[in-house]
Amino acid sequence: MLPEVTKDELLYSHGNEPSTINKTGEWRFLTPKRSEKLSPCRHGCLLNGEIPAWMEAVKQEKWDEAWQIMSRYNPFPALTGYTCFHPCTEECNRGQLDQVIDIPAMERTVGQWRLDNYRSEVRPQKNTGRVAVVGSGPAGMSCAYYLNEDGYDVTVFEREKVTGGMFALGIPEYRLPRRVLKRELSLLEDRGIKFTTGCNIGSDIPLAELYADFDQVFLSTGAWKPRLSGIKGEKSRGVWNALEFLSRINKGEQVEVADPVIVIGGGNAAVDSARSALRLKGVNHVSLIYRRSRAEMPAGQVEVEAAEHEGVELICNSLPREINTGGQSVSSIIFDHCRTNREGLVVDKSRSFRKSCGTIIMALGQEVDYSLFDTLKKSAVIFAGGDLISGPATVPEAINAGRIAAMAIKARIEGLPAPVLFKNEQIPVGFEELNLEAKLNLQLQNKQEDPSDEASRCLGCGTCNSCGICYLFCPDMAVDPVAGRFELNMDYCKGCGICFKECPSRALVMEGGR
Amino acid sequence: MRIEEMNRESEMLYAGHNACPGCGAALSVRFLTRALGSNIAVVLTASCWSIIAGMPPLTALKCPILHCPFPSAGSVGSGVRRGLDAKGKHDTTVVVLAGDGGTFDIGLQALSGAAQRNEDYIFVCYDNEAYMNTGMQTSSATPFGARTNTAPYPLFKEGQKKDIMQIMAAHSIPYAATATVAFPEDLENKLKKAQEIKGFRFIHILSPCPPGWGTESGDTIHLSRLAVSTGFFPLYEIINGVSWKMTCMPEGKRVPLKEYLMGQRRFKQMEDIRVDALQEEVDHDWEMLMEKIGSS
Amino acid sequence: MAFEIMSGSQAAAVAVQRTGVDLVVAYPITPQTAIVETLANFDARGELGGEFVSVESEYAALACCYGAAAAGARVFTATASHGLAYMHEVIHWCSGARVPIVMANVNRTIGAPWCLDPDQGDSLSQRDTGWMQIYCSGAQEVLDTVMQAYLLSEELLLPCMVIFDGFYISHTYEAVDVPDKDTVRAFIGPPAFKAQVKPGSPANLHGLTTGDNQVKLIRNRHEAMLRAPDLFKTINSKFAETFGRSYGVIDSVIPRGAKTVILAAGATAETVRWSLPKLDNTGFIQLRMFRPFPREEICSVLETHGVEKVVVIDRNCSTGMGGIFAQELRSAVYDLKNPPAVQDIILAGGIDLTFEMLESIIKEDKYQGQVEQIWGVDLK
Repeated sequence: MLPEVTKDELLYSHGNEPSTINKTGEWRFLTPKRSEKLSPCRHGCLLNGEIPAWMEAVKQEKWDEAWQIMSRYNPFPALTGYTCFHPCTEECNRGQLDQVIDIPAMERTVGQWRLDNYRSEVRPQKNTGRVAVVGSGPAGMSCAYYLNEDGYDVTVFEREKVTGGMFALGIPEYRLPRRVLKRELSLLEDRGIKFTTGCNIGSDIPLAELYADFDQVFLSTGAWKPRLSGIKGEKSRGVWNALEFLSRINKGEQVEVADPVIVIGGGNAAVDSARSALRLKGVNHVSLIYRRSRAEMPAGQVEVEAAEHEGVELICNSLPREINTGGQSVSSIIFDHCRTNREGLVVDKSRSFRKSCGTIIMALGQEVDYSLFDTLKKSAVIFAGGDLISGPATVPEAINAGRIAAMAIKARIEGLPAPVLFKNEQIPVGFEELNLEAKLNLQLQNKQEDPSDEASRCLGCGTCNSCGICYLFCPDMAVDPVAGRFELNMDYCKGCGICFKECPSRALVMEGGR
Repeated sequence: MRIEEMNRESEMLYAGHNACPGCGAALSVRFLTRALGSNIAVVLTASCWSIIAGMPPLTALKCPILHCPFPSAGSVGSGVRRGLDAKGKHDTTVVVLAGDGGTFDIGLQALSGAAQRNEDYIFVCYDNEAYMNTGMQTSSATPFGARTNTAPYPLFKEGQKKDIMQIMAAHSIPYAATATVAFPEDLENKLKKAQEIKGFRFIHILSPCPPGWGTESGDTIHLSRLAVSTGFFPLYEIINGVSWKMTCMPEGKRVPLKEYLMGQRRFKQMEDIRVDALQEEVDHDWEMLMEKIGSS
Repeated sequence: MAFEIMSGSQAAAVAVQRTGVDLVVAYPITPQTAIVETLANFDARGELGGEFVSVESEYAALACCYGAAAAGARVFTATASHGLAYMHEVIHWCSGARVPIVMANVNRTIGAPWCLDPDQGDSLSQRDTGWMQIYCSGAQEVLDTVMQAYLLSEELLLPCMVIFDGFYISHTYEAVDVPDKDTVRAFIGPPAFKAQVKPGSPANLHGLTTGDNQVKLIRNRHEAMLRAPDLFKTINSKFAETFGRSYGVIDSVIPRGAKTVILAAGATAETVRWSLPKLDNTGFIQLRMFRPFPREEICSVLETHGVEKVVVIDRNCSTGMGGIFAQELRSAVYDLKNPPAVQDIILAGGIDLTFEMLESIIKEDKYQGQVEQIWGVDLK
């Protein structure tokens, strides 16, 4: 009925074009940038593992990504998750807020995921070389893994019937479930690594022959020679050395043990022996006796507490003087009180006691058997690692040695310069440096059962762990969430510095200019 | 609030807007629009956001924005709500956005009228505590003792900050709440809660302004947090004008006000006697608030 | 035809109710209060159709109308005098925003000092705001004009004021032919103009713009308003068909040979119309549409009849200049080949116009010739 309204664009001021054509990034005179500082967990890790990086992957439940990151430095997270003493956790800054992140549990989760989901396929052989590894313990397994990863043809020689070295023989079932170890080893075999068991290099096959047959050899026979105390009666019947004792048990062999049991020593082997002995039928009382104080015990505190909890009697500051036998085997030991001062051990023979026993387990540590080296030429180039070189040390150090050896062997075979090892000299980010005001991702205060929730408690000290605070607080929409991570968008960033100020991990720096 | 689950699609604010670096108001509107969703209509009165909204043909928000004259925010909101209802758009949330000037001063009449009529929309005041868009002049929301460009040293803002929340409580509106940008989850929860209530809802958001307050642009969140932890700007809700509830309590004792003041140039030359007076006022207001919360 | 006795204010309210609006926003001020009260009564009886809300000031009232109209609703409010002055900012805003609004303004003097008498200065001081203005001379005209104003406003997307004198029209009762609701609704139709606020459609409405853009917007609305007279004629012819009454942008009665014409708007126009038979050789132009100023129509009438003098009744005075209608007319006739003389009768303050005053202006010698300004008080 009425004429049409004029369709004139200039009727009134209006617009619906997004303001995104306006590149406000041009306003900047300071620019935020990612900067990776050393996190304390990484600082403590003997494997130099990229813990915040894989922790972030765990948070996002990206198990494969977590495994990929872990395996750069540690191919056996399931095993280390159980056996490493985890210095990373001791340094964890979160402990200064509420509870440390349960890194071991996270490691086990990723490790177990890998064991459950990975179908290892035979690595394509690059025909670059054949390498022999002597000893199938942590160092040998690690070296074999990394060489195999690079396409080398690897054969592992093991003198025992079972593979795994210290994993299999030195560490009890209750600390490392055997099914986990078995699966780990089978994955290595699936990859094409050959294991020859029951073969003692040196006696069954001369070492020189290995050097002749293979392009390179890695020696990782560990430290198995028991250290002796030298006290009277040490060679009596009923006296075991700890490793022999544990080995037998872990191999499933019969072990004759008479109650009560006394374990002498303060390291992990001593504690393991005590706890293993307690689990044997017929053993009702186990004492663990150490010459220094409890605080000075080299064994992990968690292990010691567990032992006590299980009923092991702990006696400190006592040095064994003499072992007495009654009949065919041991009956008692005499101990003297001793303490440590600046000069060393001070023994007080006036304060001594006798303890009766049916079995004694000496856990005074191991030594390296260097006889294998006698068969080599003085000028030979030798690749060796693990306890064989360092003396009794730890699982992560052995694994690390294996990895580095693999790099070195590869370089040697391919005629490349020897790898340069980088040591991060940065000071790790301290707790007081973190900006915890936001506390948004700190709502989950205590240890969480769910791995993803637990991983979200990680503060990512010094590295970005995709907490998203920068994204949350950017007034200029200059942070983009991309596949679970957060990228700074320099087209729009005005350089206000809120992200820098608020980043809980202190993973950003402000640089001058655009 | 799981940040990892957030995505760009839920955000209503476009990049490329021309708010100052570190602008608290930009963050306030980002959070509140994200909380309310896309079915909203914004009424926007003269304030910094009139400019941040962009110059047509550009716009900075993914929803309709109706600009209106300075004093009229409360009234135009009433009109838009009724107009949308006449057109059958009952599900659209109407959000009226005003600065402190358009709420406390020139807009107070319209705010009061609309609140008294229990108009069915959400009135959001983003408060940067002065007329910032025109260059930092005093408003009744400016805190006691602050310097502005109409109260330059040795002058200072006399009189306390107007207690807009008590004014709103006196109107017995269904829902009033304070919020600030350092606590986005609290802010968004309040907006979501408000969205479900019918009648007049008022949200007062403290939005730090780096150029106006004389602070580093990167300190916006830090200051906003301090405002809460000193008790200067407590975070609470008022239901129906009678029931007061704290939503975000600072842990431990309240931080001394001086810590909050010292990072801001507008308080830099504040004489000790006035700092003390302001601390007393904050303490007193805190006690009164606690009483109201206690007896609710 | 259904006649009812009602005042001008009531007529305005009845027109709004017949038209069918979505929202009436009310604030009282003498002498328009009866408009909003009548609409409130409709609402009380459930006969309003739309919503009725009382707000806290005239400023709020027009702002509320703006918001609703921007959302696509048909709205109404009424004011006078101080109220109109108070909403001045929003009056500008509405025309710039191109929202259709119909507002009744009942003329009343703006103080200081307080005065209730009907000076037209209130509406005239809004003449530059971009609103259309139509002055009515009686209750029937008020009723009819309000209805037509909706069509005008919604087509041109410009707000429109319907203006009439306080007390003389607002409070005097006449017989008014009140059309039935269905006929009116069918004639006007529901509001069909496009909403600016559309949920789901991002739009930065009336945001900051530059002068370069602003001039285009100003020109656009200026040209839109210039279409009003022609559009009005179209509307009116259909109105006449439906309701049997017809109006022009101006209405004129000029006897053959009359060389003097009296021009008036509002209640005084009715006085002049009634006085005309007793004033020899004098013509009459009722100025109805004031914005846009109907220059063409007036000039055409004056030229056709060779008018030599126009006596303008101004119920207003722009201090320092004189009556506003006279000023506008002088400007409108300036370019004519033989522009008539313009004599300004200033009735400021709302004083009454009587037949005697008109007679004395037309007949007395002292008011012939080049006497430009005559104050009404001097005529009494």
